[in-house]
Amino acid sequence: MSLKYITPAERFKKYLPKDYVELVDYGPFGKTQEEAGPGNMGQFKELVEEHPMCSGCWMAYYIRLIFASLPNPEDTVTLGTAGCGRLAISQAAVPFIYGNYGDQNAMASGLTRAFRLRFPDKTKDVITIAGDGGTMDIGFSMTMHSWIRGEKFTTIMLDNEVYGNTGGQSSGMSPKGAVLKMAPKGKDFGKMPATELARAAGCVYTVRMSPTNIKKAAKIIRRAIFVAREVGPTFIHAYTSCNIEYSIPTHEVFADAKAQEKDRFTFEEYMTDEAKEVIERVEAEEKAARMARKAQKTEAVN
Amino acid sequence: MYYVAKVNADMCAEYKCNTCTLYCPEANTLMFDKSGNTSWVDVDRCKGCALCVYVCTDMLNRDCITMEMPNVEAV
Repeated sequence: MSLKYITPAERFKKYLPKDYVELVDYGPFGKTQEEAGPGNMGQFKELVEEHPMCSGCWMAYYIRLIFASLPNPEDTVTLGTAGCGRLAISQAAVPFIYGNYGDQNAMASGLTRAFRLRFPDKTKDVITIAGDGGTMDIGFSMTMHSWIRGEKFTTIMLDNEVYGNTGGQSSGMSPKGAVLKMAPKGKDFGKMPATELARAAGCVYTVRMSPTNIKKAAKIIRRAIFVAREVGPTFIHAYTSCNIEYSIPTHEVFADAKAQEKDRFTFEEYMTDEAKEVIERVEAEEKAARMARKAQKTEAVN
Repeated sequence: MYYVAKVNADMCAEYKCNTCTLYCPEANTLMFDKSGNTSWVDVDRCKGCALCVYVCTDMLNRDCITMEMPNVEAV
């Protein structure tokens, strides 16, 4: 898909939904990150539309950040599964595939292979965005096997440490001792070591983080996508609290994310030498392009 | 209706700052007007979480955003 494909003829504009027209006129398609990226959210029409996620949800915030950071939104496909996250991911102006519970990484494997066969000269990004239940509990075998096979796509785990969508059951990612509505005695065992498992299964780039710093979070999302294009599977484990099940007052959600950054979600980035090469090359290219645009701009002013 | 964020435009315009728009969990809700250098709220989309109040008041000590009951006309 390209911007030309979705741009309506001028005379039809008045019959189209307002949100669609706004997306074409002010959306991020075909623009650079400086024009329409995470650094100036609120100044362009974002890809995520209104969705039914809870007030003050940090997962909704991280999803907003993911879509603002996409390097190539017009050629991206997201996959998800049951859980809170899909409520917002499915409302974005990026094709979304909703699988049976936990099979998002299996579907993504087929999809990314098909894209490489069908569009060998084009870059198509496949990203699976699922919760901790979909990735590490119910979809565990399919997630692990996609990594073991070395499938080239990005996996993002939105870890809210609970089954928030179904009333508060403990998940494999809930911390030890967490007392939840459906785990009244407290969870008996600790969090699954998600990033260690990813590394053992062959992920070439893994990150554990709490999204509090926009620039850093955006950089990591983009790195994971760039590495997945060329080298192999990449994995981001992000803290996206559930303010309902963990009873966090909505205005303190950001403070909680900052506190968790020093606790269970200390920043941890791992990359193989091959992945590092790709990251260094792509980021140098991006910097050069940015400098060139800047020079062009100052020239135009003078 | 419920309490939603309200930006004091005059106070906000003094600081060339768009930090609150970067931390709103909802897309296309807390917007930034570049010409007036101020943030503004799309009242219909705001879910009233007050995260922007935390950012403006607790983090930046600026107190430009308050939670208020909007004037909504009955449809």
